[in-house]
Formats: sequence, C-alpha cells, structure tokens
Amino acid sequence: MTQQHSYFMRWTSRVVMLSMLAMGLPLQPAFAGIVETDQVVSHELAGQDRARINAFIDREDVLSQLQQRGVTAGEAKARVNALTDDEAHMIAGKLDQLPAGGDIIDALIFVFIILLITDILGFTKVFPFTHAIKR
Amino acid sequence: MFFRDARFLVGVFLLFLGACATPPQTRLVLDSPPVSLPRRAELAEVPYFAQDAYQCGPASLAMSLNAVGIAVTPETLKPELYLPDRHGSLQVEMLAAARRNGAVAYQLAPELNDVMHEIAAGTPVVVLQNLAFSWYPVWHYAVAVGYDLDSAEIILRSGPEQRQVLPMRTFEYTWARSGYWAMVAMPPGKIPETAEPNSFIAAVSALEKISGPERVQSTYIAALKRWPGNLSAQIGAGNTAYRLHDLARAEAAFRQAAQDHPDSVAALNNLAQTLADQARYEEALEAAQRAVSLGGPLAQTAQQTLADIERAMKK
Repeated sequence: MTQQHSYFMRWTSRVVMLSMLAMGLPLQPAFAGIVETDQVVSHELAGQDRARINAFIDREDVLSQLQQRGVTAGEAKARVNALTDDEAHMIAGKLDQLPAGGDIIDALIFVFIILLITDILGFTKVFPFTHAIKR
Repeated sequence: MFFRDARFLVGVFLLFLGACATPPQTRLVLDSPPVSLPRRAELAEVPYFAQDAYQCGPASLAMSLNAVGIAVTPETLKPELYLPDRHGSLQVEMLAAARRNGAVAYQLAPELNDVMHEIAAGTPVVVLQNLAFSWYPVWHYAVAVGYDLDSAEIILRSGPEQRQVLPMRTFEYTWARSGYWAMVAMPPGKIPETAEPNSFIAAVSALEKISGPERVQSTYIAALKRWPGNLSAQIGAGNTAYRLHDLARAEAAFRQAAQDHPDSVAALNNLAQTLADQARYEEALEAAQRAVSLGGPLAQTAQQTLADIERAMKK
C-alpha cells in the first residue's frame, strides 16, 4: 500500500513538474531581453515629476518663502534629486491639486513649504526623503 | 432616496454659494478662454442610461463606453464596479473596468479647460462630483457631454436626468471636492485631445497587459504620429510590434528611439534583441555593447542581452 502510494506520488510530482516547466518554456527565450514599456514610462514620468517640483521651487513666491527660512533653492533641489520615483510622484501629485492660476501661496503650499523646510533644518521629520542639514 | 438627499443638499449648498465668488477655473476659462476652444459644444448622440439608486458609476461608464462603440449595459458593468457596502464605485475601479472592456482608460489633468477640450473633440468625459460637503460627502459620477461659454453652463448626463444643465461654477464647486477627478475611455487608435504623452502611454500599456498587443497596436501607431520623438511611445510601439512578431516595424521604432535618445539603454537593448532575433548578430552586438556602456538601472538587462548575443555568435 505504501509502496503503491509513493509510486503514485513520484509520478504525479513528475507530471506536475514537467507541465509547469512546459508552461514556462515557450515564453522565456523570446522576451528575455526586452525592456518593458511600463519600465520606460515610469522612468520618464519620474523625470517629469522631478522637473515639476523643481519648477515649483523656482517660483518667485516659493523661493522667497524658502529664503526667508534660510534654505537655498540649491539645497531644496538637492533633496528633490534624492527622492525615489514614488516620493517624487507623491509630491508632484500634491502640486497638481493646487488651484490653477492661483498666484498667492495658499494654505497647502504654505504647509508643504514649512514642513519641507523644517524637515531639512532638522526640527521635524514628516517627509521620509528629507535629510536634516548636519551642522 | 439618494437623489432626494443629494438634491436637497445641493439646494442647501447653492444657498450658501449665493454669496461666494466664481471659483478659479471657471473664472479663468470665462475671462480668457483658449482660442482653440469653440464657444459651445454638445455631444447629443451620447446614449443615456437611467440609473437606480447608487448606480451612477456603472451607468456613467456604460454611457462613455457606448459612445465609443463598446456595447455594454450598466447591468453588465455592475458586478465589476459596484461595492455594496460603500454604495458606490471607486475611481480606480472605474478605470480598471473601462480597461477590462477594451478601452484605454485615461485620467484627465484636473483642468476644467481640458474637460471642455475633450467634449469639443467629440469625447464625453466621466466626472466625479461631491454634491454635498467635504465633511458630508455625497459622491456622484456623471458624464459631461456639453458646455456653453456664453451662458457659462455645463451639460451632463446625470442620474435621472438625461440632460442636466448646471451653471459652470456650481459644477466646478462639486467637481473640485472630488479633487477634479475626470476620465475618458478611448477606443483603439484614438488619443484624447488633451493627453500628456507619458501618462497616456502608461494607460495604453496598462490596457495591453490585459488585452494583449493586438488591441493596442493602432493606438501606438497613432501615438507615434502625434508625438514622433517621444521615447515612451517609440518603445511602446516597438515592444507591441515585437510581441506581434512584426520585427521590421519593431526594429524601425527602436532604431528611431536610439537615434532620438542616444542615452536610452531601453532603446539600444531592445534594438539589439530585435536584431538578434533576426540572426543579424554583428549589428546586434554593436547595439548591445553601446547599451551596456551606458550603465544605469537597466544595466543588468543589457548585460544579459549582450551575453545572449555573444553565446549565439559562438554557435
């Protein structure tokens, strides 16, 4: 009985293994060397996100807010470059929600700027990507 | 029940609004309308599905899909979309359901301008509104099918109303509270008027994953025509042709990509692979070596491709 059972198991497992191999085989060689479209797209989108955040930092009203608090545009941009793609996307998404054509710093920008600056200066730790300035 | 609630709240809300100024996007488009935007447009031929309580998601999506020739009813979409305990549909589910039915689901930029540009170009726009307050949300999907800049109105297929005419500013207030969420469903070969190239290619690639390459081929060809130098469009067109074993078309797309973007590892790597599949190993080797020399996050794939080509050449 046990003998029979182990034969059965051995053959079943062989059949299963072979069929799994066969499922994987035909796809493997053909597409092995191709870089997928979504890999390229997400890289391009991340570049756009960073460019948008940098453009935001370059806005006159934003720059003056940064300067008033002792952070240079260069320091802020160095942080932007250190963002992961996901983080850049999150921040750029927040910028998207700003009202179009608005020329005053509203509450959202203000909060964003304050948190970014205080993070950089080491008073808070809201954004995972900011690194406090070592003095 | 839902609509009686919603309408009551909209009524109350409008009383509050009476004292408010015109919201920013409406003001912008009325004060300085883009020259490219006609004064009015209405897509009268967009079909209408009346909806039961809480069924605005399936009904709205069905209208927008039927408008582009994909025949579905709200009933067939309901199991894909409706979440009973939430009495509604999530935005991501709306995009996913459009995709499952073979359309490219593209989320518009949060701009009133763009919604109107799409309508003027003949594409109805599914919008999410919060008809009440941020602290007492009454979520509602509708289909924007028309606008009139002179009377400052938006025309919607909305709930029980086949042709709801809303003041533009009321629409903006209710739409703003959804974070200006809007989507279009595009049939094969068509690109939204206001599409941003990389976001659009991401949407096409998402459809391709569930539909297969054949369904999206014409869309990539259209994308290359519209944005000839865009890397995402070039790689997408090349990859789709490659999957369909159209190696000549794939090679042309990758070659163009490598020429326009000499620092793109993806373009060179995929070109090398396509050449190797045609047993043109000398050319393939050169492209693969250039890809490897660029380094970057795709270096491993490029090295693998190079190794495969070198192994094939030894045989």
